[in-house]
Amino acid sequence: MLTIKNLSANVDGKPILNGINLEIKAGEIHAVMGPNGSGKSTLANVLAGREGYEVTGGKVRYKERDLLEMAPEIRAREGVFLAFQYPVEIPGVTNLYLLKASLNAIRKHRGDDELNAVEFLKLIKEKAALVKMSEEFLYRSINEGFSGGEKKRNEILQMALLEPTLSVLDETDSGLDIDALKVVADGVNTLRGDDRAMLVVTHYQRLLDYIVPDFVHVLHGGRIVRSGDKSLALELEREGYGWLAEQAAAP
Amino acid sequence: MNPAAAHYLDQCRALAGELPGRRVGWLQDRRRAALARFEEVGFPSQRDEDWRYTATRPITAKRFHTAADRDPSPPVTAAQLDALRIKGLQSHRLVFVDGLFCAALSDRSEAGAASGVVVESLARVLEERPECVEHALGSVTPRKQHGFTALNNACIRDGVAVLLDANARPAAPVEMLFISAAEDGFAQPRNLVIAGKASKAGLIERHLSVGEHAAFTNSATEIVLGERAEIDYYLVQTQSPAAHHICGIWAKQARASRFRCHTVTLGGALVRNDLGVELAGEQAHCDMLGLYHIAGTQHVDNHTTMTHAAENCSSRELYKGVLDARSRAVFHGRIVVAKGAQQTNAAQTNNNLLLSRGAEIDSKPQLEIYADDVKCSHGATVGRIDADALFYLRSRGLGEAEARALLTFAFVNDVVGEIAIGELREALADTLAQHLTDNP
Repeated sequence: MLTIKNLSANVDGKPILNGINLEIKAGEIHAVMGPNGSGKSTLANVLAGREGYEVTGGKVRYKERDLLEMAPEIRAREGVFLAFQYPVEIPGVTNLYLLKASLNAIRKHRGDDELNAVEFLKLIKEKAALVKMSEEFLYRSINEGFSGGEKKRNEILQMALLEPTLSVLDETDSGLDIDALKVVADGVNTLRGDDRAMLVVTHYQRLLDYIVPDFVHVLHGGRIVRSGDKSLALELEREGYGWLAEQAAAP
Repeated sequence: MNPAAAHYLDQCRALAGELPGRRVGWLQDRRRAALARFEEVGFPSQRDEDWRYTATRPITAKRFHTAADRDPSPPVTAAQLDALRIKGLQSHRLVFVDGLFCAALSDRSEAGAASGVVVESLARVLEERPECVEHALGSVTPRKQHGFTALNNACIRDGVAVLLDANARPAAPVEMLFISAAEDGFAQPRNLVIAGKASKAGLIERHLSVGEHAAFTNSATEIVLGERAEIDYYLVQTQSPAAHHICGIWAKQARASRFRCHTVTLGGALVRNDLGVELAGEQAHCDMLGLYHIAGTQHVDNHTTMTHAAENCSSRELYKGVLDARSRAVFHGRIVVAKGAQQTNAAQTNNNLLLSRGAEIDSKPQLEIYADDVKCSHGATVGRIDADALFYLRSRGLGEAEARALLTFAFVNDVVGEIAIGELREALADTLAQHLTDNP
């Protein structure tokens, strides 16, 4: 589904990604872990097409197409979803408005009929219940005045509604207490399926207790320095990231 | 006197024989005094501090002409008017084309519905019962008025008179439509609202065009609010991009009255809105809400004066602007707290969103405080579309133009949301959405 080949990228003229190689197949969950500054969030943002992240080399193929050629909205319509580390507050636009506009943009792109107000409301209420979000949040401005946990839950609500083919979760666990973490993980797990894939970017192993990955990759200095199964995450939890620096220093 | 002022002086003199209420002594005296004022000051120039950012040249460089009394068939058809109507709005509607009242296009079926309510052409009131307006007409416009106001005062001709007895409440909003139709037409609408004790009404003053002609409208409205009166006033400017409009609205508020004034400017080439409110009785409250969304080379100048003349009054100003292309806006917000106006609470905010590099805003607060126990705040911001918010929306599948339009609309949404007349609020939201799609 997603093939990343030798991907390099700069942020503000500084090289952050230095040759990433990664293959994600349908049905798989991949976790990318690493210390602060290793390039985890950059990878997530490059995949979503954020401005200011300049790709300097390499290729990304998504469903047999060049992902990097696509505008952010086309990526979204093609099924790529980024759950933001810091969801943006947008006063003056209701959550409901965005959710409906978003779903219908994607449906239209796929050639499906747009949902009318009644159909949409029924659907979104089901999804809100799934992430244990009170309906009142639907009528509030996007993320405005939401707590950290509510913002993250709102991301998962969007994800649950849009049912993306490839979900990229950027530090979705940061700032969550254990109850919120479980709710978020439940939401994510209901989206697991043979035709979907996920890339879970996280600093801590904790999230992976609830969203169990098939593969774990360790990012350091803008490269994947080690890959393994879920046990690698536990090893990192035990030993920290210190060994990376030693390994880098070794001849 | 410069040639432009001389031209309008001639227009004014030529019209003298046609003005209503020519045998009313006080009215003629006021007209003469205003004419003398106009002869003295002429049109303002950019040397005047109050006109520093607004050149009147687009108006003075051209010669606009007053429409003469015409035969009864108006140059605007009922079908054209229908296209300009606010969807679903039931109103007492008075229509003026090029400054002249059109009974055929007006709809006053509901005007008599409430007792103690008079909604009438001002000319008719001046002919039939001038004594009803003697105490008010010309009493609220500023004493040291600029040339445009003086010019309007010098030939008070027609417009809408709304006279509300104590406790009167019209069943539907009063809608005043001023349509520019003639090429290079010059019109000077004059409105007067006298709101008796505890009366309450919603009034909509709209300025529109039929066709894309150049036109010059110099309007003036006076509003006198009695004790505990509540007036919601909407000024909606959607004229053609070739129309110029100098607009004045002046209100004087008695004790515990409430005045809400919404100024919405979308159309016009050069538009100047002078808004002056005097809180003359204790516990009066005023909200001034403004919205301008302009593009091309439009120039909009909102000039507000909030005068706290009595104790314990409060006022709030919120103006929001969206500027695209090479448009230019001016916001000049003056707050005067008179000596003795203790416990004043005044807040002023002006926020602007610039959609292009060529757009320009001059925002200038001016506080003059002569009392010592007051709360006065002001703030102005200028910003651009937030890149993070734009990316967030695009990452959810919204196209770039759609995302920009949505963010722009969101920026002004709170001002739109304060419009109490539902049909007007929805019509404006639609117009804005259309505006945004047309100018992505």
